[in-house]
Amino acid sequence: MTDLHQLSATALARLVRSGEVRARDVVRSFLDRIDRLDPDYHAFLDHRGGRALADADAVDTARARGADLGPLAGVPIAWKDNLVLRGEVTSAGSRMLDGFRSPYTATCLQRLTAAGAILLGRTNMDEFGMGSSTENSAYGPTRNPWRPDCVPGGSSGGSAAAVAAALCPLALGSDTGGSVRQPAALCGVVGLKPSYGRVSRFGLIAYASSLDCVGALARSVEDLALWLRVAAGVDDADPTSVAAPLPGLEPDHRDDLRGVRIGVPWELNGPGLEDEVAASTQAAIDALRGLGAEIVECSLPRVAYAVPTYYLIAMAEAASNLARYDGVRYGARSSGARRCEEMTTVSRSRGFGVETQLRILLGTFGLSIGYQQEYYGKATRVRELLRADFRQVFGQCDLLLSPTSPVAAFPLGSRVDDPLAMYLCDALTVPASLAGLPALSQPCGFTTDGRPIGLQWMAPPLREDLLLQVAHVFERQTDHHQRRALS
Amino acid sequence: MPPAPAVDRALLQRLAELARLHVPAERQGEVLRSMQRVVAAFDALRELHDLPLDAAAPTAGVPLRPDTAEPPLPLDEVLANARQTAAGMFVVPRVVDA
Repeated sequence: MTDLHQLSATALARLVRSGEVRARDVVRSFLDRIDRLDPDYHAFLDHRGGRALADADAVDTARARGADLGPLAGVPIAWKDNLVLRGEVTSAGSRMLDGFRSPYTATCLQRLTAAGAILLGRTNMDEFGMGSSTENSAYGPTRNPWRPDCVPGGSSGGSAAAVAAALCPLALGSDTGGSVRQPAALCGVVGLKPSYGRVSRFGLIAYASSLDCVGALARSVEDLALWLRVAAGVDDADPTSVAAPLPGLEPDHRDDLRGVRIGVPWELNGPGLEDEVAASTQAAIDALRGLGAEIVECSLPRVAYAVPTYYLIAMAEAASNLARYDGVRYGARSSGARRCEEMTTVSRSRGFGVETQLRILLGTFGLSIGYQQEYYGKATRVRELLRADFRQVFGQCDLLLSPTSPVAAFPLGSRVDDPLAMYLCDALTVPASLAGLPALSQPCGFTTDGRPIGLQWMAPPLREDLLLQVAHVFERQTDHHQRRALS
Repeated sequence: MPPAPAVDRALLQRLAELARLHVPAERQGEVLRSMQRVVAAFDALRELHDLPLDAAAPTAGVPLRPDTAEPPLPLDEVLANARQTAAGMFVVPRVVDA
């Protein structure tokens, strides 16, 4: 049999459900692999070790009893360190939450375990989701399994690296402005950001609440469809979750894309791209045309404003959300202060990292008297224009396509001193975030020195079925996803 | 259009007070340079006119569930993450002078 770590989540669940493989053996193989390989990559902050094995034993016992196992039975899944699990440490990549143990569990993790999945361990991330390289983690950076001198992207860089290195078949992330899709692209895996509201955010540590989405990363489109079937749905604990039915996500075995209109907005497919990213995207467009798709050249006229719009909104919401870290109820607290306000100021200044403090200051700027109307207020109105642009363009085509990131994985340390250069890594992913659209990144090529390149799909709200079907056809007709960072 | 704001030490000091952050003097220059670059990028939006008058609130259309009391989290678990508690309450340094 193929090594278990090489198998997809779908295949592992099938083997466990049929009894051909024990869940314990699956989990053991991934734990061994993490212990052996992860010191070189630092994708995980920790793993659940014996507790994960005990959970696997419970699945094996249930099967022996003849119980009906869930669709993710025995599948080990990693989760980003900003999703809380009752009784276990969650830090959001921050010293501010060092040692915090949640009194409750995120809905998206509850749904995984109810489906039989085994929670394997927490993955590294940029502090509170603020970054595009995972270098802003208080616990040290993660390295890209394809090129250990390069970043894995961010902020879900630990999850992307874990999947790319086959330390787990599936990992959860969160995507506020591209934090699932961009690391998926830089690590050569598939990443899905569902529509805003499709997956409950109860238990996701808030960064920017009008943008935050729970997403997932895997090595195949089929695995993401399997995850979404489990994860999607309304949740009383998250009033922004939507009750819309999930269209059929069964694997589509068609081999062509006849009748599918794919829009290529020129603003996202030319300016500012690295040459090899542009060339791989063009090759993908040619391949899609060869599969029978109609390629529609189109425009998103206001998308040039997406980056400042996104950062104004995200930073303003972050400044508001992170006000809760006051040193009183949880999180870091500095001792020695004589007054409560001094205690809060010292605790926050020591607990938050440099980038988080910068974003809080800029968010406070955008919201403060004298600037609110010209900055945050204006950004919320520009977001409406961007949404209108998307509505208009989806009248001409079924989906949109662009590169996921303008650049392939870059060397560690090369952008940390230039926040604007880092923010521009998100230029192609923030538009879908601002419009609340579902979007997916999948591998579409490699640079000549072996760094992965990702292709981004965007669909109308709640049309994850379209994303997954088209991405599945592309995946079946190409071989980019079959290359592995590690054997 | 009002003039672009001066992102200077006085503004930084005011924002830091609002945000309950302390930026030490030796870091202020670096923070200011970063803020100036990012605010200059934000200023791209200032050239946009004829914007819609209102933006939908992020929570517009969100249905409200019935306001039903649910069992609360256990008090000891909630307090367990605080650095200092007493008699089922959070303890903080003095808030007002006696």
